[in-house]
Amino acid sequence: MRLGRLWNSLATPKNIPKVFSVILAIALMAGFVVPLTYDVNQLYLKPAPQAQVDDKDPFAPYNRGGSVLEEPATYISQYPQFAEKAGFITSYLSPIAIGVSQTTLYFGTSILSSPGGVIDEILYYSRGFDTILESSIMLMATIIASWVALHFTMRRKEEE
Amino acid sequence: MDLTTLGGQLLGIIPLGDIVLYVTTFNLFMSVAALVFTVLIAMSRTEKQVEAQFGTLNDREKKVSKDEFKIRRFLSIICGIATAGAMITGDLFNFTLFVTLIGIVNIGIVSAVKEVDVLDSAFQYGIIAMLATLPLFGGAALILGTTGTLSMLEIVNIPTTAMMLFGSILLFIGVAGESGVAPFFATKAEMFRTAGSPFLVIIHLSSLLVIVRAIEILLIINKPF
Repeated sequence: MRLGRLWNSLATPKNIPKVFSVILAIALMAGFVVPLTYDVNQLYLKPAPQAQVDDKDPFAPYNRGGSVLEEPATYISQYPQFAEKAGFITSYLSPIAIGVSQTTLYFGTSILSSPGGVIDEILYYSRGFDTILESSIMLMATIIASWVALHFTMRRKEEE
Repeated sequence: MDLTTLGGQLLGIIPLGDIVLYVTTFNLFMSVAALVFTVLIAMSRTEKQVEAQFGTLNDREKKVSKDEFKIRRFLSIICGIATAGAMITGDLFNFTLFVTLIGIVNIGIVSAVKEVDVLDSAFQYGIIAMLATLPLFGGAALILGTTGTLSMLEIVNIPTTAMMLFGSILLFIGVAGESGVAPFFATKAEMFRTAGSPFLVIIHLSSLLVIVRAIEILLIINKPF
């Protein structure tokens, strides 16, 4: 009979987030015993931690050097044949981004910059499709939130 | 085990920089099925539910208002396109983004409904979808750290380590949470108790196809055979 009770509690929507978080917690705990492996030949490199921060670089930790259309930035592509012009637009900044980067030293790490922010599109030329998807996720979330707010689906008393 | 053993003939690739979408017979079929279904949904109208009322001879009709219809149709189309994209993507992080997009749009399709029970379970589903982003992106990040790449065309040639197995388990928990498969189905099952059938069916179809694709990806990463 215990099993029946378990199935019943699984059929209650209210309990599901709890069940999910318990399963997730167990899986994450198991992560502590998994032997760590790290491949040193990473595609998407970052400089040593704090190295750019110590240099008082406003784009830390995302500064990849280079200048627009003149000199390619430090760049590794998975498929160089599909990204011939890789690195040439990496250092491009929009006027807003230039303005913000001149006001603060923490431009690279602020929420304004990423993800989907003013610096994000310059991060990885070869991963542009991801940027489109990220922004569309945010766009959908905004559309849903504004629709719900405008139409008051939460106004419950009327419905009763 | 390579891509062609799993998906049949490799028909071609769609290169978008590092993100390479690849088309095999199996993936193409699933992707086209999702798109065809999306077109059908975009053209169709919603069902109407009629409920008998207790104590009187009247019926209560549950209609979908025009505003509600429009937003749900729009979100359903996005959901269908995202599903079709998730089927043919050859990049792990790209796949997780498609799954997240499907998850958030699923909440949106249901949140337009003005029924308290349905909104309650949509809220619970939203909590799971939020929690699921941690293992989903965490799993992809672990696999990136272990292999140094996100492209499935490369991962398929890299021998599996324990860390990759762990990463793919996390990825699966994330996909299970986002798509609401068993044992987390209760929230989604409750969400369907509302009018507006064709839009609700795309929620079903997207989670079904995503889970099939996720299993294929797990096989690509772990290479059990």
